[in-house]
Amino acid sequence: MSSDAPVLEINDLKKYFEGDSNIVDMILRREPSQIQAVDGVSMALEANESVAVIGESGCGKSTLLRTLIGLHDSSDGEIIYKGTPVSEFDAADWKAYRRNVQVIFQDPFNSLNPKMTVRESLAEPLGIHGIDNKAERIRDVLRQVELQPAEKYLDKKPMNLSGGEKQRVAIGRALILDPDVILADEPVSMLDVSTQAAVLTMMKELINDFDVSMIYISHDLSTVSYIAESVKVMYLGRIVESAPTERILEAPKHPYSKALVSAIPVPDPHYDRGRTEMSGAPRDPIDIGEGCRFRDRCPEVIPPDELDIDQQAYREIMSFREQLERDEITVERIESIVEEQERSALLDTIQDEYFTAEITGKNESTLRAALTSLVEGDDDLAVKNLRERFGSVCETTPPEVESEPEWHVACHHYGANDRSGEKRGAEERVVHTE
Amino acid sequence: MSDPLLEVDDLTVQYETSEGMLTAVSNASFTIEEGEFFGLAGESGSGKSTLAKSVIGGLDSNGQVSSGEIRYRGEAIQDLSGSELSDRIRWKEISWIPQGAMSSLDPLQRVSEQAIEIGNVHTELSDDEILHKLKETFEIVGLQESRINDYPHQFSGGMQQRAIIALALFLDPELVIADEPTTALDVIMQDQIFRYLDRMKEELDVSLLLITHDISVIFESCDSIAIMHASQIAERGTTEAVHDNPRHPYAFMFKEAFPDVREPKRELEVIEGYPPELMGEVDFCSFADRCPWAAPECRQGAPPSEPVDDDDPEHIAACVRKSEAYELYEAGQAGEESAGQSITRMGEVD
Repeated sequence: MSSDAPVLEINDLKKYFEGDSNIVDMILRREPSQIQAVDGVSMALEANESVAVIGESGCGKSTLLRTLIGLHDSSDGEIIYKGTPVSEFDAADWKAYRRNVQVIFQDPFNSLNPKMTVRESLAEPLGIHGIDNKAERIRDVLRQVELQPAEKYLDKKPMNLSGGEKQRVAIGRALILDPDVILADEPVSMLDVSTQAAVLTMMKELINDFDVSMIYISHDLSTVSYIAESVKVMYLGRIVESAPTERILEAPKHPYSKALVSAIPVPDPHYDRGRTEMSGAPRDPIDIGEGCRFRDRCPEVIPPDELDIDQQAYREIMSFREQLERDEITVERIESIVEEQERSALLDTIQDEYFTAEITGKNESTLRAALTSLVEGDDDLAVKNLRERFGSVCETTPPEVESEPEWHVACHHYGANDRSGEKRGAEERVVHTE
Repeated sequence: MSDPLLEVDDLTVQYETSEGMLTAVSNASFTIEEGEFFGLAGESGSGKSTLAKSVIGGLDSNGQVSSGEIRYRGEAIQDLSGSELSDRIRWKEISWIPQGAMSSLDPLQRVSEQAIEIGNVHTELSDDEILHKLKETFEIVGLQESRINDYPHQFSGGMQQRAIIALALFLDPELVIADEPTTALDVIMQDQIFRYLDRMKEELDVSLLLITHDISVIFESCDSIAIMHASQIAERGTTEAVHDNPRHPYAFMFKEAFPDVREPKRELEVIEGYPPELMGEVDFCSFADRCPWAAPECRQGAPPSEPVDDDDPEHIAACVRKSEAYELYEAGQAGEESAGQSITRMGEVD
């Protein structure tokens, strides 16, 4: 690799955890379920660049960070540090990596040793890496994180510092080894808003002054413009959109990014942004197979061309079929709540339970036929019939395409080809044409 | 009937500690009318949660209302015993959505069982009547009636939120107190919760006392706001009045500290220091030590809560320099130089 290689490069990184399995699973030799926490993330971090990874809790952003610092082994894919894959590291490489890639954690209340003074906390990493002139370095770093005068802080323990001051010490501890990369996990989310801005601005200046690169992980899009030039939006283990910060805040493309940006509260009583239309929460990333991760909640999920159906009705049918496929719907449960066991009453109950949208015409008759198969115990036939009529291109994984310079989106609405020219269907594979 | 729903009148709440009486709320006053959404904002340590807890008699055992009154429909309730509050006020009149609402359902009980437990403590209703009410409320928050017998784990995350709101509403309270109901939630989830709170307002005409550190949420969702700093209410009024014409330095600095996604590059205000812990009587402005415009009189007696002369007669600010502080601040924003001088000058006065 040349010296132009990014500081940190991630190629198709995956981190799967094995789900719980019980004794029955063992006897039946079932494969344990896979929790797909990080599911094919790629990115490159250039020198002096600050990239934000934004997503809701459970989207895998913290797992990504832990995998990057070696707390988790990756399941697949590569992490490449200055041209050398982490998988080829020897002990000395690891030590250098741990010195050069530093982490700032979310919770300054727990990330500092309560028994150590500020001086001791800052001296510890220097000792581990055998660096001299500690006193001078510690003073320098305290100046950089704006804890002045140093004498006032050096002998204090964390309990005598405010949250903002603690986080500054934690940042100082990360900087004192002069790292190349800082990985920051929600560094200001536990701070009061009166100090958030100060800490963010300071971090931004430090990146500029010290030639550091940063991956900033947060659920908060509203402050990201103060720290990162570009944003990657993550949903259920995958990056769905990457773009320069201001542009994505102004006009997000991926339906999930749109939902995320439009749900940010605006501090203005005269402005009515409207409440989110979305319902539900992200599902668990367990054995979720192919397809767009967002399709079960997506307000713009793509029905087959010839199908005449309202968005919500369509999404409900798709989500119902997928629950069937995952064995999450049982007739027994429904029978337990319906008093009349008569066929049509049972079908009505199922429909009431799982569908709020009005479903009419041929769509309804297909649905009713499928429900009948379900009640008769033939789940597979129900799934097959629903799939035939209601299959979506969104059930195939959308390729990441560059829809504008520096702006990548992984959504079938932004296909490499014009969507209208495509033939679509549930069984069809989307050809990657980048 | 002309009495406001809730009046907090010159309320002081203190905690007994080994070092003396710690004052968490000092001479706080505000009212909430029927159907009004009222937001109480402040940093951690401002006393906002203590204030909310005192309304339903939920203070920790070392806490007490030292002076002032809390009136519910004109009746002073601060001295009622726990059992009187439970019999007459809690849940039927004033209910509670707890902090970290998402984890507040008992995982071992069906939602219907939890409702019956609450109903039996606070009402004379039969179990059937309680379940009937719960079903009606489930309908309002968009849950199937048939699901009242589910366990919390059978609900998705979004449905759990709705179940919690339903449990706060099912005994037809007039006022719901929500203490940081959406803190630590992602924005989409937060917005979903507020969508149901909006609906609760429209369909049931319920009032809300919303406690939060997030002023954005209050500006969006509430009719009125009070901004609290270290035990004192710095400023209150309609959200429009406080947003458009903030007079207390803490109010406008706090407001300017919040990011606005419409202006991603706007400089955010930084408030130096943190709220002090106050022992005994608070006879000074608790913000004085953090305030760039503090004058000697700020430390000579608590600042009077006086009306701000604008469209909102209920717009009150507790600052001796309220007629000029914002202009000084704006001048500072406009021209760094002249502002620097005026701030230094103020510092010298001090």
